[in-house]
Amino acid sequence: MTSASSADATITDTAATAVSGHAASSLLVCLPPLPPEVLDSMLANLSQAFAGEELLVATSDPVPKQQQRLGMKIVATSSKRMNAGWVLEAEDYDLAAGLSSEYEAQTVLLLGGSSTALSAEALYSLVDCIRSRQIDLAVPRFSLDVSNGLVNAALLYPLTRALFATNIRFPLPADAACSARMIQRLSASRQSGRAASSSPLLWPVAEASSAGYSVREVEAGDASPPRPQEGEFNALFQSVAASLFTDIEAKASYWQRFRNRSALTADKIPLSADHAPIPAETGSEIGDMIDAFLLAQANLQEIWSLVLPPQSRLALKKLSLGPAESFAFDPHLWARVVYDFTLAFHLRTLNRGHLLGAMMPLYLAWAASHLLAANNDPARAERHIETTAACFELEKSYLVSRWRWPDRFNP
Amino acid sequence: MGQQIESALRQSTHRVLEVLVSFLPGVLAFLLALVVFALIGWAVSALLYRILVAFKFDDRLAERAGSGSPAGVADWSPSRSPALLLSRTALWLSILIGLAVGVSAFDASYAANSQFSSFLLPYLTHITGAILLLIVGTLLARFLARSVLIGAVNAQLHYARFLSLGVKWLVLVLTAAMVLDHLHVGGAIVGLAFGILFGGIVLTLSLAIGLGSRDLVSRSIEKTLEKPPVSQPPEVVSPSAADDPSRSRLRHF
Repeated sequence: MTSASSADATITDTAATAVSGHAASSLLVCLPPLPPEVLDSMLANLSQAFAGEELLVATSDPVPKQQQRLGMKIVATSSKRMNAGWVLEAEDYDLAAGLSSEYEAQTVLLLGGSSTALSAEALYSLVDCIRSRQIDLAVPRFSLDVSNGLVNAALLYPLTRALFATNIRFPLPADAACSARMIQRLSASRQSGRAASSSPLLWPVAEASSAGYSVREVEAGDASPPRPQEGEFNALFQSVAASLFTDIEAKASYWQRFRNRSALTADKIPLSADHAPIPAETGSEIGDMIDAFLLAQANLQEIWSLVLPPQSRLALKKLSLGPAESFAFDPHLWARVVYDFTLAFHLRTLNRGHLLGAMMPLYLAWAASHLLAANNDPARAERHIETTAACFELEKSYLVSRWRWPDRFNP
Repeated sequence: MGQQIESALRQSTHRVLEVLVSFLPGVLAFLLALVVFALIGWAVSALLYRILVAFKFDDRLAERAGSGSPAGVADWSPSRSPALLLSRTALWLSILIGLAVGVSAFDASYAANSQFSSFLLPYLTHITGAILLLIVGTLLARFLARSVLIGAVNAQLHYARFLSLGVKWLVLVLTAAMVLDHLHVGGAIVGLAFGILFGGIVLTLSLAIGLGSRDLVSRSIEKTLEKPPVSQPPEVVSPSAADDPSRSRLRHF
């Protein structure tokens, strides 16, 4: 699915809509590749959410006549993707941008892996945000269990909030609603070098923020974000982190310019002192993650010393010496560690594959600390995530300072 | 007696001066060739860089790469610019050519029938090759050692450092053997020593990994024996991943 493929798109008119040719439609819905039965329920969901409206639905799947609904125009697209991705990728935005300009759609609803889980109300809210509130980008906000979405909580959300001043919980969305100018900007961002051109991922929240566009999130109800396809976690982690760091590098001139307002009031929130027994389901996995960190602490000092200042390494050593029951990764330390790795990625202190590989045990340490702090309580997990994000905002000056003067003495 | 000593000293001084006089033009020719080719290289490098920048070579290459992998041509380039990499390669190639031309000029200007020339000059090329081999080998050893170390730590192998050191010394021993062979030092002894050392390291690593992974392998075999594969009819729905207690309940993404 590329922008070029949009030229191959053909309209299949339903019996109800006698409109032919490239008539302007206000809402364009881009569907991911779906099995026939799921596609049918998806179309039913869409016609319920946007009853009485004229919809332009782009899909690569064949839609039989009996499945087509009133007021729905089907645009057949040639898609290279066999399955819906776990997040929207650059080619999805490219395709949507091509169709949006071709059919003069004012609002684009891009649906991905979690589209089938989104209710009609959630779909409507996403689009309504763009149309009636003059927002440029709306993304769903999911309610997750304590042990879900850990990379998002550790890296993606805090970094996006601190550097791009947008409090969007899922900055790498699986579904999104965009205004026409937003989708065009996203499509153009890779060509103009504002985003990582070698990565299939795009960071729409960061892009909107750097463009001065408004972004909102919409409650997704009970829906859960899609799970990536079975594969090696290490490779996926490195791919996502590399894409995020590259995007941060590309937008360095933007995020260095402003201060975060919320950071000024963010205090170091003490975590709960009373440590209840570790939940049985995740207990062994927490132990494994702490073991992975301890193993890295014993073996990766040579590599960490190239990236982290002595103060951080000393704090990590202290962390490794404590008992596993009270294992707590200080959020300020985590923020500094992530910023140091971001800087090392930018400076190419060492091979980027090695750098991201060396970061993974530290992430696992944070995840173990988070699960222990949350103690299977969603409210405490939420508080810990917010504390972490606030610490990222507080420590932003550290990143700016090191980014500008990387050779300055840093104990 | 004194006159004889004086005469001998005078003759030897004369011979030294003769050698020096015949040697100096060669050195001058060598330096001149090096400087001229360095200047040419600098000019070519600057011109090439400007042309590549004008044609947006870096952007085109990045568009073509189009893979999500963090490793690419740009990763190996200074300042993430393949154009800069190419221009610097041109400069260093030119300097290397200058070096070769300088050595030839030195050879030509020096006494052609000199034993020194016929022995030293081919050996100089061998030394250059050996130095290059040593640099490449050392860099490769460090890169592979780090790759193995990080991969093994992330795979939670407790002998990660040992494995990394083993790989590093394997490559270093191989490099040292190649360098010595290139310099024609040691003859058969080097080959023999290399075989013994290389074989020893491989055997040590095999034993270490084999013994270290003994528990892992036995657990894996036990699991296979405990749970024989049961063929299910297609209509029977297997339990979902979420219901399987052996599978991870954590979702990193």
